[in-house]
Amino acid sequence: MTVNSIEVKNFSKKYGDFLAVDNISFTVEEGTIFAFLGPNGAGKSTTITTLCTIQEKTSGELRINGNDVTSQKSLVRKDIGIVFQDSTLDGKLTVEENLKLHCDFYRVPKTEVNGRIGFVLDLVDLSDWKKAMVGGLSGGMKRRAEIARGLVHFPKVLFLDEPTTGLDPQTRANVWEYIHTLQKQKNITIFLTTHYMDEAEICGTVAIIDHGKIVAFDTPYNLKKKHTSTTMKIHSAAPEALAGYLDARSMKYRRENALFTVLSTETKAMLEIVSLFKDAISDIEIAKGTLNDVFITITGKEIRQ
Amino acid sequence: MRAINAIVMRNLIKLSRDGMRLFFTVFMAVIFLFIFSFIMKSSIAGLDHPMNYLISGIIIMTVFQTALNNSMGILEDISSGFMKEVLVAPISRWQIAIGQMLSSAIVAVLQGAIIIVIGLFLGLRVDAAHFILMLGLMALVGLTFSSMGLYLAALSKESTAFQLLVTIIAMPLTFLSGAYIPTIVMPRILLPVVFLNPLTYATSAFRYVALHMEGMSSAALVKAGVAFNIHGFVIMPALGAVLILAIGVVFIILCVNQFTNADLSQVKTFRHHGPH
Repeated sequence: MTVNSIEVKNFSKKYGDFLAVDNISFTVEEGTIFAFLGPNGAGKSTTITTLCTIQEKTSGELRINGNDVTSQKSLVRKDIGIVFQDSTLDGKLTVEENLKLHCDFYRVPKTEVNGRIGFVLDLVDLSDWKKAMVGGLSGGMKRRAEIARGLVHFPKVLFLDEPTTGLDPQTRANVWEYIHTLQKQKNITIFLTTHYMDEAEICGTVAIIDHGKIVAFDTPYNLKKKHTSTTMKIHSAAPEALAGYLDARSMKYRRENALFTVLSTETKAMLEIVSLFKDAISDIEIAKGTLNDVFITITGKEIRQ
Repeated sequence: MRAINAIVMRNLIKLSRDGMRLFFTVFMAVIFLFIFSFIMKSSIAGLDHPMNYLISGIIIMTVFQTALNNSMGILEDISSGFMKEVLVAPISRWQIAIGQMLSSAIVAVLQGAIIIVIGLFLGLRVDAAHFILMLGLMALVGLTFSSMGLYLAALSKESTAFQLLVTIIAMPLTFLSGAYIPTIVMPRILLPVVFLNPLTYATSAFRYVALHMEGMSSAALVKAGVAFNIHGFVIMPALGAVLILAIGVVFIILCVNQFTNADLSQVKTFRHHGPH
């Protein structure tokens, strides 16, 4: 049986007359990674801050592990871990002190505090920096410390609001490795917003929000299948025969002498071309559409980077 | 309890690392002691324990100022983002408020105690029993004014507005409290303000203890500016202490209420920065 960690039903949020989130509903299954994408001002932050209990909804129902985010704030807060976009660590305390403080706030049993701090710092490779002042750490280390802190009370749902923004590619890759390790080890549900489409690719489910409405909700694979076409580039030794074949089937293609670029959403049609003309093909390149293409198709905007 | 304790410890650890701030608080107190002992030589000339009279005013002022100013801490926490971490934690808002209040009160009392120690070298005379009483009064004043400070901070939400508010409030309270200028030499027209000023009672109660005035009659106390005769109703130092306590309770309630209802996350929520 699948359990839903996050349930959002008919959620709306108004700021004065401005409708920031317009009647959205979705669920996130336990133990999955869920990516929430959208252009700036689409309602991402509003949704995440409402789910995290720091902002009140206008209407609708939001639940985390079955607990209502409005009427059962304390229960919700105990179950969630949050890594905000901006650092919320205390720069004038050491990494360890920040984590200890967090353990006190979340009532981590006192006998477990040191063990857990050791465990999460190991996970993000910061064990050697336990006694370092947070203010003196690099951006990537701060982010890792922040992720460690978000995990030290063993949350059931982890919210990551652009966890890798501003990090170099190496650190980004590391942060992702930690997220995956964690998800496997603790079976936690991860809700993330990101601007990097390649990060969204590895999520179980992707939701795209635009103008306060969810405009797409599916697995990355299905989204790409639905909203993008596959591009196949063929260098053909028999260009006329291929052109005839494509014209007869009125398929979309571009031709530069012997180089054909065929666009199609039908994988089968592509395979047929390959099998029919395999003797004449001297070079081939097949590219699936990316989530970025999906995003542009749906929202009409390039995601900001 | 654990959360309150954690907040208090965190604030104290931070202060203990802030060497500059520690140095300046003590330094300022010493400067005050010297400057005022010169300025007020004439007005305290006739008193039995001039140093006790003077130092008690300075101590109570230091406790008051420190308690009020330490509330700035929560504004720093809001702008640094740390407040968000506290707000999403499964702790109640009143625990946050009490924790902040307690830590500024503790710091205020510690600072007052430091001045008492310095005062000992300058001729202040206290025995153990009086010292404990003084600590108690400082704690009372510290708590009352840190809750007031926290209330103002939660109300103003940004440091410039808060500082302005503190200056506007602290200046008249300070000078119309009798801490530096004895109330008995003040013009009659100012007396209503003096009587409404909570600091007046803080100063007088503290002086009553510091100057060992336990044996004096109420008339003598009024004459010394430690008790106040308001149209025949005499406010004795003990009643003054109760008044401070009452004001403290009012501000603690206001403050907890402000903390529970104010959306302290807003300050940061919409301040995005980054490469876009």
